[in-house]
Amino acid sequence: MSAVVSAHNLTKRYGGFTAVDHINFSVRPGRIVGLVGPNGAGKSTILKAILGLVSFSGELQVLGMRPDRNRARLMQEVSYISDVAALPDWIRVNQLLQLMQDIHPRFDIARTRNFLDATDIGMKQRVSTLSKGMKTQLHLALVMGVDARLLVLDEPTLGLDLIYRKKFYQQLLNEYFDEEKTILVTTHQIEEIEHILSDVLFINHGHLVLDMPVEEIASHYVQLRVAPENLQAARQLQPIHESRQLNESVMIFENLARERLQALGQARTPNLANLFVAKMEGDVHA
Amino acid sequence: MADIQWREDQPIYIQIRERLVSMILDGRLSPGDALPSVRSIATDLQVNPLTAMKAYQSLVDEAVVEKRRGRGMFCLEGAREKLLNMERQRFLEQEWPHIRQRIENLGLNVKELMETGKGDKDQ
Repeated sequence: MSAVVSAHNLTKRYGGFTAVDHINFSVRPGRIVGLVGPNGAGKSTILKAILGLVSFSGELQVLGMRPDRNRARLMQEVSYISDVAALPDWIRVNQLLQLMQDIHPRFDIARTRNFLDATDIGMKQRVSTLSKGMKTQLHLALVMGVDARLLVLDEPTLGLDLIYRKKFYQQLLNEYFDEEKTILVTTHQIEEIEHILSDVLFINHGHLVLDMPVEEIASHYVQLRVAPENLQAARQLQPIHESRQLNESVMIFENLARERLQALGQARTPNLANLFVAKMEGDVHA
Repeated sequence: MADIQWREDQPIYIQIRERLVSMILDGRLSPGDALPSVRSIATDLQVNPLTAMKAYQSLVDEAVVEKRRGRGMFCLEGAREKLLNMERQRFLEQEWPHIRQRIENLGLNVKELMETGKGDKDQ
């Protein structure tokens, strides 16, 4: 199957500042891809380029189209939820649904109503009276109605309480996602989405520092709790990261055989948060 | 909405598999019964559907469950016996050596241990 998103030497400069620097990646259909990086790493710029909101140099194809040239066509099949609640405060829910039906050729109002029926959101409520969590649900309801092939989520759960955050991802998995859909999501709360991701893209200073299916991480990275007597031997194997935990050293190794490391301490696969810290602190571009 | 605690020492698909296996072993699932759908596992446990699928695939490979087109996964005849054998094998090869080592390290007497256990139960 062809890629949903493919970028080749994707670059974005703002004046003298290079936000995204010759990035290459592709996103396959049926995947949930996490785009993870610190503030200012270039995440939002990449999302904006994919959505056709900024110009760029290099090549970028989304569903086989150039987003900056085919934006209207592309938006029929791409949905987007941003961290900034972009719905007008004064509009009522039923008016919003009507508006969507009038302007979006693929919007199915019944699907959105069905979804909203299971929430506490009233059809006559104004957006201004909805809590932040409810606004996110309303966004999600509109996304359900569009049934887009690609869903782009930019910090979708920022500022939501724990219950709404969990509900958000549950509804996404249960009612939206299937093998023909693709989700691209950015978040700071990597622990929260770790297990629903199929792939991760780590980005720092406009460069990709990791592009890998989650299930392959275990064959490339090992986190080792090093026994004190083996400290020197372990350091000689050049860990990409070392941290101290209660008088013990915890190291992360890249592309070294697990069997070799097991002799030096307790080996396991690092979780995404630990791997992220290791890759960021060890990034040569930093 | 129970919170899911995953252990870090095993891939998640293995842990999902363990849950399914224990459902079959303790008789909550019998031959012919439908297993939960991939979607419901993914939603309930908040994991990628591919991860849930992988857990099922390993059970399909071992002929413990089968996929019926358009209807989902079903528990096969003889699944419990098969899993019981595999689990016993796994216990003896992987867990028992550690337990045995621990018993020896602590200077416990296996015979007494088993008998004291029984003694406690009888009282």
